[in-house]
Amino acid sequence: MSLYLILLPILGALALLIFRPNGAHTWAMGVSMAVQALTLYLLSGFDASGGLQFGVDLPWMAEVGFRFHLEIDGITLVMLLLTNLLAPLIIFSGFSVQTPYPARYYGLVLLMQGALNGAFLAWDGLLFYVFYELALIPIYFICAIWGGVERIRVTLKFFIYTFIGSLFMLLALLYVYLQTPGSHSFQWDDLVAVQLSPGAAWWVALGFFAAFAVKMPIFPFHTWQPDTYVSAPTGGTMLLSAIMLKMGAYGVIRWMIPLAPESMHDLMPVFTGLSVFGVVYASLIAIKQTDLKRLIAYSSIAHVGLIAAGLFVWNKVGVQGGILQMLNHGITVLGLFFAVDILERRSGTRGVYELGGIARTAPVFATLFMIILLGSLAVPLTNGFVGEFLLLLGIWQYHPVMGAVAGLTIIFAAVYLLRAFGLTMFGTQQVPSNNFADIHIGEYTVLGILALLVLVLGFFPQLILGLTDYSVDRILGVVQL
Amino acid sequence: MKSILILFLTALAVLFTGLTGRRAWLRTITLVGVALALGIAMLDIWQGDALGLNTRYASMFVFDRFALAFSATILTTLVLLVGLSGWGFRQLQETLGDNYGLLLFSACGALVMVSFTNMTMLFLGIEILSIPLYVLAGSRRNDPASNEAALKYFIMGAFATGIILYGIALVYGATGQFDVYRIAEKVAASDGSRSMLHLGLLVIIIGLGFKISAVPFHFWAPDVYQGSPTLITAFMATVVKTAGFAAFFRLFSTAFSDLSAFWGPAVAAMSAITMILANTTALFQQDFKRMMAYSSIAHAGYMLMGILSINQTDTGGQAILYYTLVYSVSTAVAFGVYMLVSEQNADRSLEAFRGLGQKHPLLAALMTLALLTLAGIPPTAGFFGKYMLFVAIFDQYPYLVVIAVVSAAISIYYYFKVIIEMYFTREDNAYSVQMPRGFQWVMWLGVVLLAVWSIWPGQILGFRF
Repeated sequence: MSLYLILLPILGALALLIFRPNGAHTWAMGVSMAVQALTLYLLSGFDASGGLQFGVDLPWMAEVGFRFHLEIDGITLVMLLLTNLLAPLIIFSGFSVQTPYPARYYGLVLLMQGALNGAFLAWDGLLFYVFYELALIPIYFICAIWGGVERIRVTLKFFIYTFIGSLFMLLALLYVYLQTPGSHSFQWDDLVAVQLSPGAAWWVALGFFAAFAVKMPIFPFHTWQPDTYVSAPTGGTMLLSAIMLKMGAYGVIRWMIPLAPESMHDLMPVFTGLSVFGVVYASLIAIKQTDLKRLIAYSSIAHVGLIAAGLFVWNKVGVQGGILQMLNHGITVLGLFFAVDILERRSGTRGVYELGGIARTAPVFATLFMIILLGSLAVPLTNGFVGEFLLLLGIWQYHPVMGAVAGLTIIFAAVYLLRAFGLTMFGTQQVPSNNFADIHIGEYTVLGILALLVLVLGFFPQLILGLTDYSVDRILGVVQL
Repeated sequence: MKSILILFLTALAVLFTGLTGRRAWLRTITLVGVALALGIAMLDIWQGDALGLNTRYASMFVFDRFALAFSATILTTLVLLVGLSGWGFRQLQETLGDNYGLLLFSACGALVMVSFTNMTMLFLGIEILSIPLYVLAGSRRNDPASNEAALKYFIMGAFATGIILYGIALVYGATGQFDVYRIAEKVAASDGSRSMLHLGLLVIIIGLGFKISAVPFHFWAPDVYQGSPTLITAFMATVVKTAGFAAFFRLFSTAFSDLSAFWGPAVAAMSAITMILANTTALFQQDFKRMMAYSSIAHAGYMLMGILSINQTDTGGQAILYYTLVYSVSTAVAFGVYMLVSEQNADRSLEAFRGLGQKHPLLAALMTLALLTLAGIPPTAGFFGKYMLFVAIFDQYPYLVVIAVVSAAISIYYYFKVIIEMYFTREDNAYSVQMPRGFQWVMWLGVVLLAVWSIWPGQILGFRF
């Protein structure tokens, strides 16, 4: 069953890319919704207190221990929900834009969806690597074909940056693989069972860190990110920020720490410290930004840095909060980028000082924007609150000073997000945003669904925490530092 | 043996048909001959040991599964190249028959190089492969670049063959044998001074280094690749390289495998500088063929890692086999697209590809697949090729693997230059590209092969020699 989560979007993508039919948007929407339905079906049959479920295990290069092995546990399921709830929204949000070459664009988006599902489902190290890289190819083309002025230089930098990081992950994986007994194996359980010497574990952890730190991104590996977010088309930015960077965070939970726990005693302070430093650093830069897209890009670095810190401390509260917050961050950042896209399309600018008074003519838009913004601010009763609270608690348990410093993120976020909101929505009307029309039904649907998710998950975080509870216990039990 | 005979007879048939002036038949005859040779080789592999594959021909040849597998690789590539030749050779008039004949004779030499068991046969194989190529490189008689290429290739090639011969003589002096298995026995038995043997070995490595164009013996390659007709360049980059590596592997896994402690570091150093230098130099090339020349030098560096795996793992040979197959097919596809684009517009730079994504989406997609494969990006077959090479030597030479990984990352930059020109550059040029008849099946065959090998790499990687 889980196989179709990968096959369906990839076949749909190939069909769109080869036949290039009219109405590509509708086709892509249909395929993406079918995958979403399948995910919800799996969710309905999922036993939250059971182990691995819906597995598929096919030989690929069986002689060398490489298998097409997929499994679903609670953590994976949340990632699948993230991908397949948001991907249709991302596709749908393109309805009002005249995208050139729509069949190719939506084909690549579907390919992305399939590859992301594959990376989250993979229970075989090499398979994870293959899907992790496969996801890079469509997003590279999306950003470089449909992007803005600087797209070629920026996107190539992004590609080479992430590819080099992943190659170090490949080396780390290979090393652990060659330590497995017998004719070697890439299966998760076999890789986890390997006992590494502290020195070797150090290198393995750094190899994985190179890949995931670039992907998430963690300071000081973040320099590709703001440029790429700004120059990419909105759909590409949404895919990158809402879903793709979660592959890095997921990789930390599933692969990096479980494969090299022996090194974590030494490296945990470094990794956590970098993440927390990145939170403060990115927040301070975000405060200075006047371009809305760039502002959200930096706020995203801050929020993801907090998630990373919570995962690196490897206690139950932190990991639970991290997983929940991955989903939350996906929802809010998608909404924020979509709102900025609406602003830019109507007024032709993203500068906070060039906009103003929009709430007067577009009250519905301002309200929905506010709800999503509050989710990003982690105000109580929104989704961000529970996630960030758990994360901060986890970091606090590890080291109170770090917890306190990381807690600054909430204050800083209030500063830069509310400032941006106030300047654009209230105040005197500026020329570019004069007669700003309120959102129409399509935009309303996207923002409305996201705002609803913000509130629902804020009221009932247990929906997600309950899914991951058993799996987090299990992985923390297997991988003791 | 059967494949060599068929190729030889086809070459004769082509030469005589060329004399009669029925030029329209030549390509068909060649294609049928090559396909027949390929079919026979595959049949022999399939029937396997029942045929007594390990019978040796007067200590000169053995057509074991290793030889047959590499023969099949070479012949598969040749099928693609002959398919492309309808366009590649279109300007040739009365010399068409000679060109096909020389191509086939050269391929005979390649098959000899993968199945020798005697060093004299290795030498003869290299000569049979090279001499027709010297002529073919200069087959555009009115083009000064082609003449330059032929002269350079001839001088450097003759020089390299001479060096190999000198090395063979030294090894003969030290062991008194030409037969690779006897040499291995002598090497294992002797315990005295080995200086002459070591010298001979080093000289052979240098000579083979010229043939496979590994740094620092690569200087001829960019000029020769650039000046030769594109189809011949493709032949050099694929068939010659495959044969060179198969010969390298066979010689070093039989005769000199006990000396791996001596030649290992030398080959490792050669591999490392080849990967670094070739990949960084390729970044600065504006001419597509020069870029591909450096790319092919870089791939020689990766494949040298397979040579290093002799005595380490039993999968090194399979890794080279898979790598040469994938590399050959994707190179043939890339040169095929380039041939159309550059010759229809008389532009040999990377800018010739500008806007190909809109002008001919199919060709652009094929080129993209070929380039992604060459760059080794998952899940293309090129990734599994590199992966197997890395696994084979990771324990022994971890630093070399790190160098390979970094240089693979560098290589993305120049492969993607072409992709950027095809899809992302919005300024347009006035070029147009048509796909001639008879081109399409070659391209699709290449794509299908690359797709199948990336989805079922186990078929080849699990192949037992």
